[in-house]
Amino acid sequence: VSLELWAFAVLAVVAVVTGLLALLVRELVHTILWVAVFFVDLAAIYFLLEAPFLGVLQLGVYAGAVTILLLFGVMVTRKRIFFREATTGIGAGALGLALLAIVLVATAGSALFSAPATLHPYAVADLSQLLFTQDGGWLVLLGLTMLSALAGAIFLVREGRE
Amino acid sequence: VSDLNAGAVLGLSAVLLGVGLFGILTRRNFILLLIAIEIAMNAAILNFVAFGAFLGNGGGTVGLSGQAIAVVLVGLAATEVAVGLAIVLALNRLKGSINVGEATSLKL
Repeated sequence: VSLELWAFAVLAVVAVVTGLLALLVRELVHTILWVAVFFVDLAAIYFLLEAPFLGVLQLGVYAGAVTILLLFGVMVTRKRIFFREATTGIGAGALGLALLAIVLVATAGSALFSAPATLHPYAVADLSQLLFTQDGGWLVLLGLTMLSALAGAIFLVREGRE
Repeated sequence: VSDLNAGAVLGLSAVLLGVGLFGILTRRNFILLLIAIEIAMNAAILNFVAFGAFLGNGGGTVGLSGQAIAVVLVGLAATEVAVGLAIVLALNRLKGSINVGEATSLKL
């Protein structure tokens, strides 16, 4: 068993545990702290998978921006930011766990575990070149989506409706 | 399995998707719902990274395309959080609560 596999196993366990904790703890602020750990952990997995640019992006966008946005959302919608959630229905929880089991069985039943095991390192410069030539359309599409999303968000929160 | 392979990463991705689905189905707080969607979205991005890392560029640029799409997806997820929080603020102002059960204006 290689060192990489050990590192991945530890990071995978941390990812699943922090993801579950984020959804199960009662304090909303604790949820956001756990989900921040989850994002940093995924960034570590990206570094392990030879995707350093994506790892840095994950740290900046998710662990930085999204976490702060979520904290801001909690801050402006609560009188006290430490607030306990009401308990939820047990039936929906059972349904969610059943879906999780189906996904797990589907994964284990396939031939995925004889999948290729060679990592392909690359130069970050190649990725940036690709983003401006072959996959440039995706970036333009993302820019247009972000612009319309910005307009939509401003429309939603504007003052003086009705 | 003696070495890190694509199956292990795809398995983790599937489990994280399950965790996200679990959150989407059980939580009633809009912000928790957003976080659950983010976890599911991260599972999808991890899928693209895994395929990009393990398929490599066999002649073409398959491997890097996976990462290029992942870059776009990260931006898309951030956009989605911004719009989601705008909805949270609007819902909070209209109903005084961010429980998704209260948003029933479109019900027949």
